[in-house]
Amino acid sequence: MRTKQIIWNASAGWNVTGSQAGAASLVLYFGTRQALASGERYEELRRMFPKAHILGCSSGGQINNNDISDDEIVAAAIAFDHTGVRLCRQDIAGPGQSRSCGEAIGRALAADDLAGVFVLSDGLNVNGSELVAGITKAIGAKVPLTGGLAGDGADFKETLVGGDCAPRSRVVAGIGFYGSAIRVGHGSAGGWDLFGPRRRVTKSAGNVLFELDGEPALDLYERYLGPDEARALPGSALLFPIQVYDLDHPDSAVVRTVLAVDRDARSMTFAGDVPQGWSAQLMRGNFDRLAAGAADAARQARSGLNGKDSDGRFSILVSCIGRRLLMGQRTADETEAAGVELGPDTLRLGFYSYGEISPHQRSGVCELHNQTMTVTTLAEVGTQ
Amino acid sequence: MHRLLAQQFAKATDESGTVDLERLRDLVSGAYEEYDRDRRRTDRSMSLMIEEIDVVNRNLEQTIVERTRELRARELDLEAQNTRFDAAISNMSQGLLMFDAEARLLISNNRYFEMYGLRSADVAPGLTLRQLIDLRIANGTFSGDPDQYVDTLMASVRAGNAGNQLVELADGRTMAVVNQPMPGGGWVATHEDITERRRAEMKIAHMARHDALTDLPNRVLLRERLGEALTHVERGQRLAVLCLDLDQFKNVNDTLGHAVGDELLRVVAGRLRGCVRETDTISRVGGDEFSIIQVDIADATDAERLARRISEAVSAPYDLSGHLVIVNTSIGIALAPADGTEADDLLKNADMALYGAKADGRGVYKFFEPTMDARMKARCALELALRKALEHGEFELYYQPTVSLLNEDVHGCEALLRWNHPERGVVPPLEFIPVAEEIGLIVTLGEWVIRQACADAAKWPGNVSVAVNLSPTQLNSKNLVPTVLSALATSQLPAHRLELEITETVLMQNTETTLRTLHQLRALGIRIAMDDFGTGYSSLSYLRSFPFDKIKIDRCFINGLGDSPGSAAIVRAVADLADSLSMTTTAEGVETRAQLDHVRELGCTDVQGYFYSRPVPIRDLLKLEMFAKQAKKDTAAA
Repeated sequence: MRTKQIIWNASAGWNVTGSQAGAASLVLYFGTRQALASGERYEELRRMFPKAHILGCSSGGQINNNDISDDEIVAAAIAFDHTGVRLCRQDIAGPGQSRSCGEAIGRALAADDLAGVFVLSDGLNVNGSELVAGITKAIGAKVPLTGGLAGDGADFKETLVGGDCAPRSRVVAGIGFYGSAIRVGHGSAGGWDLFGPRRRVTKSAGNVLFELDGEPALDLYERYLGPDEARALPGSALLFPIQVYDLDHPDSAVVRTVLAVDRDARSMTFAGDVPQGWSAQLMRGNFDRLAAGAADAARQARSGLNGKDSDGRFSILVSCIGRRLLMGQRTADETEAAGVELGPDTLRLGFYSYGEISPHQRSGVCELHNQTMTVTTLAEVGTQ
Repeated sequence: MHRLLAQQFAKATDESGTVDLERLRDLVSGAYEEYDRDRRRTDRSMSLMIEEIDVVNRNLEQTIVERTRELRARELDLEAQNTRFDAAISNMSQGLLMFDAEARLLISNNRYFEMYGLRSADVAPGLTLRQLIDLRIANGTFSGDPDQYVDTLMASVRAGNAGNQLVELADGRTMAVVNQPMPGGGWVATHEDITERRRAEMKIAHMARHDALTDLPNRVLLRERLGEALTHVERGQRLAVLCLDLDQFKNVNDTLGHAVGDELLRVVAGRLRGCVRETDTISRVGGDEFSIIQVDIADATDAERLARRISEAVSAPYDLSGHLVIVNTSIGIALAPADGTEADDLLKNADMALYGAKADGRGVYKFFEPTMDARMKARCALELALRKALEHGEFELYYQPTVSLLNEDVHGCEALLRWNHPERGVVPPLEFIPVAEEIGLIVTLGEWVIRQACADAAKWPGNVSVAVNLSPTQLNSKNLVPTVLSALATSQLPAHRLELEITETVLMQNTETTLRTLHQLRALGIRIAMDDFGTGYSSLSYLRSFPFDKIKIDRCFINGLGDSPGSAAIVRAVADLADSLSMTTTAEGVETRAQLDHVRELGCTDVQGYFYSRPVPIRDLLKLEMFAKQAKKDTAAA
C-alpha cells in the first residue's frame, strides 16, 4: 500500500502532474465548497488518476497533517497491493430518504470479504443517524463503518459530495474495502465538558428539538450565547453542543450538533435524532481537553495500523466544524495531538465536517457523532 | 515562545524567511479576540449555569421539604395504623400468631401467651414454628408428634388450604385452631378457647335429651334408645317396654304442693334406677309418667319380675320434707317382638296396658293384650263422637220432678243429660261424662246444660224450679258465675227457680274457692243443694261450712229401707239434722208407696223417683198430670 499526498491552491494549482501520479486505486480529496463547486478540480484529478475511484466533499477546513487550511484542496492517492475497492454513489432528495439511501449503499457494497466502509454524505439534507442505520442494516454491525458529513464552513448553505463524479449537493457516496489484507482502525472522541443542569427533552420530532424542560430550546441557546453570538446562529450553536441520552441506558449518550434553527417555531434541527423523553445536557469546550479528545480518538484508531510497515500508513481525520469554531487558531492543537498519537510516518488527511460517522467507543455500534474528532486508519498487511 | 505564537510566526513567514508583520499582527490580534470571546462566553455561561443550578437547587430543596413533610405525615399515619392494629391484636379474644413462608414467627399476641402459659420474652419474632412447639411441649400444652404436626400444617399452607381443628389439651381445655394461609406465603393462626362453649353445647345437647327434674332421659332419647334396641330385636333379642305412672301423684301435688311433688318424682326416679340394669333405659316422659326399656330379656317373666320390683320399690313409704307419703304405681308392659317391632307401636301398646292396669285397680301391672287395642279404639271413637255431639245437637235434657210430701206439690224438676248417639242410640251418662271430663269438654257441655235447663224452665208454667248438677270441674271454672248469670238473663228465668246440685267431692277440693263461688251464686238467689249425701265422706263439717238449701239423700239408703234398719236410722238422722239447720231433704229413688210412706215417716220433706215419674223429655213432662195441676195451682195463686 502506497500513499501520496497532493495539494491544490489557487496560485499554484496541483503540486503534482499526471506523469507523477502513479497507479492509485483510490483518491480522496477535501476542499471548500467554493473551491470544489465548479467541478474542474475533480476533472483534473480524474485525468491524473483515470483508473482510481475518486471520492471527496466540501468541508469547513481541510486537514493536511498538522495544518488546517481554508483555501487549499487536500488530496491523497492510495495504491493498494492486496485490497479491492468499490465505490457506490446515491442521490438523495431529502432527510426522509436517509435510511433507504443508506440501505442501498450498504447493499451495493456488501460482500463476504467486505472489511470496511468509508462514507461521505451531504451534510444538510440527510439525517445522519438514519443513513448510518440503513448502511449498517445492509452490511451488518461487524463491518467497521466510518466517514463524515460534508461541511460548508460556518455557512450551513450547501454541502457537496462527489464519488466518481463532480461534487454536488444531495449526494451520498461510500467506498468498500475488500479482502483480508486491509486493516481498518477507528476511533472517535469529543473531549467536551458537560455543564449546567440536566434537562429533559420535553418536545421533539426526529431530529427537530422544540423544548427542553418545557422551555423552547432556542430560548436557552440564545440566552447562553448572548445577543452577539445569537445572531450567528445556527453556526454559533456549535459552541454549545448537546449530549442526549436515555436515562435508562446511559451508554446511549451521543453528542448532537445543530444544523439549522427556526426562529419562528423556536425549534432547532440537529444532525441526528433528539428523542423526546431523553435527557439532555449542554456541553462546552476547553481547548486542552478538546485536543486531548482528538488524541484519544487517534489512540483508539492506531490499533488498525500495521506496525511493520512505515511506508503507506494512512489516516483520515474527520473533525467537527464546532470544534474549529470554538478553538479558532488553536485548532491546530488537536491535529498535532492526533499526529503525536498516530506517529510521524502516518499520513493524515481530513476535513472539518457537519457530522462524524464511527462505531461507538463503548457499544461498538456504528453511529453518527457530532462534535467529535473521528479517526480512521488504513493499512495493509504483507505489502512488501 | 508560546506554541501559538510560533505557529503564527510560521504562518507569517514566507519561504525566504521574511516575516509579514501585518499578517502576524492580524494573527496575534485575532487570537486575542478569540480569547476574549471565549472568556466572555465562558463567563456568561458560567454565571447562567450558576443561576440555573441555583434555581434547580432551590427547587430540589423545596421538593425535599415537601417530600419530608409527606413522609412524616405518612409515617404518622403508619404509626397510628400500627397502634390501632396493635390494639386490635392485643384485645382479641383469640390467641393470634402470624408466620412467614419459612414458618418464622412474625406477630403474636399476649392472649396466645396466656392461653399456653408462655412467657412473651421466649416467643420473639423469628422463632420457628418448631421452636414454638418445643416450648409448648416443655410446658405440657402440646401433645402429639411435633414433626408430623409441622409437616401437615406446612403442606396445608402450601396448598393454600385453611386448616380448622379442635385440640384437646391435657388440662381439659378445648382449643379451636384455624390456620389461614396468606397470599405470598405464610399463614395466620388463631387459637380460641372454646371449652366453656363446648360445655354449654354439651349441656344443651344433654338438656334436649334429658328431663331437667330427674335427669332421666326424656321422650326424645327414649325413642332413640328404643329404636337402637329394636335393631337388636331384629337379630333375635327380646325387650320389654314398661309404662308406669303414680296413682296418687295428683293428690300429693294438690295437698302438699308442687315442691313436694317434684321431690317425690326425684326419689321415684332414684328408686327406679335401682331396679334396672345399666343397659336398660328409664325415661320420664310426662308429669308422673315413666317409661322403661328393658333390653335383652329371656321371656315375659323377666319383665314381670321387673314390674314387681318396681311396684315394690315405688310403693315403699316416702319421707318428703317431713311428710309421710305413700304412692302406688300402675304398670303397662309391651313386649317386642310379640307386641310390635316399631317404637311407636310398643310405646302405645305399653300405654294401653297401663290404661288397662289402672282400669283394673291400683298398684298392679298388666301385659298388653290385643283386645285393649279394640277397647282403646272404641274409646277414641267415643271421644271423637262426643266432640261432635254438641254441634250436631245430639244432647237432650230429661226432667224428673221432685214432689212435696206435705201437699204433693211439684217443687221442681232435676235436669238429667242424655246423649242420643246417631248409631248407638241413647248413651248412659256414666259412660260419657267421665270421658267428657277427661277430654276437657265438661265445662262446655255443662254450660250448654245450664242454658238449656234455664231456657226450658222459663217456659214452664207456675213456680216450678229446675235443678242442674254441677261437676267439680265446672265449679272450679271461673266461667261458672258469668255463665249462670248469662243463662238467667237470656232465659228470663228468676234466680230462685234455679237450683244447683253439688256432691260432697266438690267440697273436698279447693274448698275456699268453691265456697266463695257458692256464696256468690247463693247471693244471686240461686238455691244450692247437696247431692248424693251419704255416699262419700259424709262429713258433717261440710254441712256446717255452707248453708245448703237442701240435702238429697242417696237412693242407696232408700233402697235399703226395707231390709236394713241402719238405713232408716241414717235417713232419720239426716232429715232431723237438716230440719235443725233449716234445710229441706229430698229422698232420691223412691219407687214404691211403701218407700214413700216410710220416708215421710222418717221426716223427709220431698221425694224424687219412679213412684211419681221417671226422667222424661220436656214434651212428656208438660203432659204429666201433676205438672199440669201444679201449673194451674200456681197460676191461681198468682
